[in-house]
Amino acid sequence: MITVFVLSLLNLNASAQTEKLRQALGKGLQQLGTAKNADDFSATANYFERIAQAESKQWLPLYYAAYSNLLAGITNSSKSAKDQYCDKALLQIEQAGQLSADNSEVFALTGYIQFMKMSVDPQGRMNLIGQSTASLDKAKALNPDNPRPYFIQGQSVFYTPETFGGGKAAAKPVLSTAVDKFKTFKPENSLSPNWGAERAAMLLNECK
Amino acid sequence: MRLYILILTALLSHAARSQTRISGIVTTDKGKTISHANIVLATTYDGASSDSSGTFSFSTTEKGPFMVLFSSLGYQEDSLKIELSGKPVYLELKLREKYNELNTVSITAGSFEAGDSKKNVVFSSLDIATTAGSAADVFAALQTLPGTQTSFSESGLFVRGGAASETRTFFDGLLVKSPFNSTVPDQASRGRFSPFLFKGTSFSAGGYSAQYGQALSSALLLESKDLPEKTTTGLSLLSVGAGVDQNIRFKNSALTIGGFYYNLKPAFSLLKQHTNWEKEPEQYGSNVQYKIKTSSTGMFKWYSDFSNSKIGLYTADLDKQGGSRFFSNINKNTYINTSFQDYISRKWKIQSGLALSNTDDSGLQEDKTYRRTDRVIQGRVSLTNYYASLSSLKFGAETFSTKRYERFDGLSREYTDQLSAAFAETDLFITNRIVARLGLRAEYSSYMNAFNLAPRSSLGYKTGRHSQVSMAFGRFYQNPEDDYLISKPLDFEQADHYLMNFQYNSKEYTFRTEAYFKNYNRLTKTDGTGLNNSGDGYARGVDVFWRDKISVKGADYWISYSFLDSKRNYRDYPVSATPPFAAKHTLNLVYKQFFQKLNSQVATTYTFATGRTYVNPNNPVYLGDKTANLNNLSVNISYLTHIFRQFTVLYLSASNIAGFKNIYGYNYSSNGQFRQAVRPPANRDIFLGILITIGDNTFVR
Repeated sequence: MITVFVLSLLNLNASAQTEKLRQALGKGLQQLGTAKNADDFSATANYFERIAQAESKQWLPLYYAAYSNLLAGITNSSKSAKDQYCDKALLQIEQAGQLSADNSEVFALTGYIQFMKMSVDPQGRMNLIGQSTASLDKAKALNPDNPRPYFIQGQSVFYTPETFGGGKAAAKPVLSTAVDKFKTFKPENSLSPNWGAERAAMLLNECK
Repeated sequence: MRLYILILTALLSHAARSQTRISGIVTTDKGKTISHANIVLATTYDGASSDSSGTFSFSTTEKGPFMVLFSSLGYQEDSLKIELSGKPVYLELKLREKYNELNTVSITAGSFEAGDSKKNVVFSSLDIATTAGSAADVFAALQTLPGTQTSFSESGLFVRGGAASETRTFFDGLLVKSPFNSTVPDQASRGRFSPFLFKGTSFSAGGYSAQYGQALSSALLLESKDLPEKTTTGLSLLSVGAGVDQNIRFKNSALTIGGFYYNLKPAFSLLKQHTNWEKEPEQYGSNVQYKIKTSSTGMFKWYSDFSNSKIGLYTADLDKQGGSRFFSNINKNTYINTSFQDYISRKWKIQSGLALSNTDDSGLQEDKTYRRTDRVIQGRVSLTNYYASLSSLKFGAETFSTKRYERFDGLSREYTDQLSAAFAETDLFITNRIVARLGLRAEYSSYMNAFNLAPRSSLGYKTGRHSQVSMAFGRFYQNPEDDYLISKPLDFEQADHYLMNFQYNSKEYTFRTEAYFKNYNRLTKTDGTGLNNSGDGYARGVDVFWRDKISVKGADYWISYSFLDSKRNYRDYPVSATPPFAAKHTLNLVYKQFFQKLNSQVATTYTFATGRTYVNPNNPVYLGDKTANLNNLSVNISYLTHIFRQFTVLYLSASNIAGFKNIYGYNYSSNGQFRQAVRPPANRDIFLGILITIGDNTFVR
């Protein structure tokens, strides 16, 4: 009886590791969902970083830490803070990429961070535009059903001045593709990246 | 079953009693609170973020000794060992600022950095390309920086009282023997390299690093771009010719092939020329580049170009009434530059390069033929050791194999020289606010059988977030010019530089002022006794630079002013005098405005310089006469559009639109009776261009 009890305890331990991770990620995603400002996103990024620190073989905590840091940068008004958050996010998504090679979501997020880093100083960082496009193209090639590279590209084009080939008219077809792909996209599980549908639809609406 | 519940309850209550509460505050080592710091128990998920007052708290069920890791954006991560036993723990955590651009000093004495996303940058590479009056010529654009003189009648950069030969150009660390197109009397020629080749330009007006030598005045360091992102085709159609560049991007490498053809005859037939052309400049060339990432940190680059140019003109013969002298030149230039760099370990980096330059000039000087061939082969290797988080030590060696051959009117001569050099330099960060650069360079020339040892030193002190003070002292040696060396093995020419500067550089404003004193010795002189190194001179002055990118919406402007007091006794000067390339006051105003609604950028440059000295045989004071002041107003307009859905830039550039009649000097007849003004080839210069980039869907509609 005791043996069975001890054995069941051991079993509990083994799946408790992944269950523990799943629960923690789930909690983090909830926190991410309700985050509104730079402070919230920063706290969420820290939360995912703590998990990442303990789980050296998992790419997902690093992915969400990078995503949260990116949003903390976007919602932050200070240029130097934006830069620092983007740099941190870039570092984390690179580490995620090393743990999970040929990952479409990782490349899509990398392209997003590179574009935001460029936008801090467009004149001096034009080389990042090409890098960002290359990352998004890689993401599309690795998973044609992934709506995020299209959404990120569409959003970038939306905010690029018309002179440089951007603007609402140019963004419309790309966002349209993104919105269609969002409708049919099925994430691997409840913790896989599944963000952007709302914002893509909102931007597409503004293009009409 | 009851035993089961009993054990479970015992375990659970034990767990509940073993919860430890950890709380505390995170501050800098000066006591300022840090918000959004991350505190975590190593190997667990347990932790918290610090709030706006720097305080945090969390609970954990872990027991025993554990590391607490804490960090925050912009600070160095740290850790602390604690013992978890159920008793609440209170921690006062201190973080040290991480070294970044804004709190770390850098070496600035004498140098202007330009480039994309580089530290301490004053200009971006696009700035150089779009400066009005430069027509995308790196050297012309640099003339709007303080310390340089306008040189419309001679090729090269004249820096702080130094002759053009005293400024050398380096491409990826390797010397470029002829960075300019073929030279003709009284005319400036363009630089060979397009500014779009480079991601970084560092212009050092004095006191430059021990890594570089053979330049008494200044060094222009050009750093080539890395791999292009995608396969593109670039087409440029200009009023003077056409060019095409094909970039092919592979997985980890890229190949670029390009060619160009320029013929100035059509343009010159429309713009009235002072020069009497027999053959307007015609030039064609091609380049091949190959770049490959040998590892995640390694890069091999190959750059090669070949060009051929022809030119012919008549200059007035002042000794013969109405006579003229003919001068023609055919120039064939080949340049190959290969470089390799990689990190051999986390703290060691190796850089090496091999360059070959071959320039062949031939033609007629009146009715006599001349031929001149210059060949330089250079090999270089250097190792850098990053021995501390900021400090580094660099040492290396290089060797130049130079050969010059000359033939004139049937007589020929040549010389060869093997110049070998070794250097060592350390950037020692005493704190993150104080840096000292100490270097030593040694050179040996086989032809002159001479050896030199040059100390170099710089000090930088960061006075504030965006400002710093710098000082530099250095000794610089250079071989005398080939024209003299071929007659006789002389000795190294020498210059000592003393510099002091203050710089304020933020994203919106840049203010910079630098004072310098240069002492020249052992300059080449020709006098009654022949060629020797008895020449000397001095140059001293102050440069001021102000740039504002924010006050006027969409506009960017800079003002640079230089004051120069210089005299030298060299070459055929009978006494010490102010040379023609040392105008006392020089002022440059560059203004650029981007009109978003019109998709265009307008840039204008106004240059003012006080008169240049010239030799008047009727004046017993050598170089005692001065020309009138020089003025030049240039404008360029860039219009961004799409042609066949491909990103296109339309470019119009006009120099001297106000039509100032500038005179750079006078040539006299042998008897001193007649003189002719040295003027630019045409009073006004207009240049039109269309640049199309095909295949780059970054900017495609």
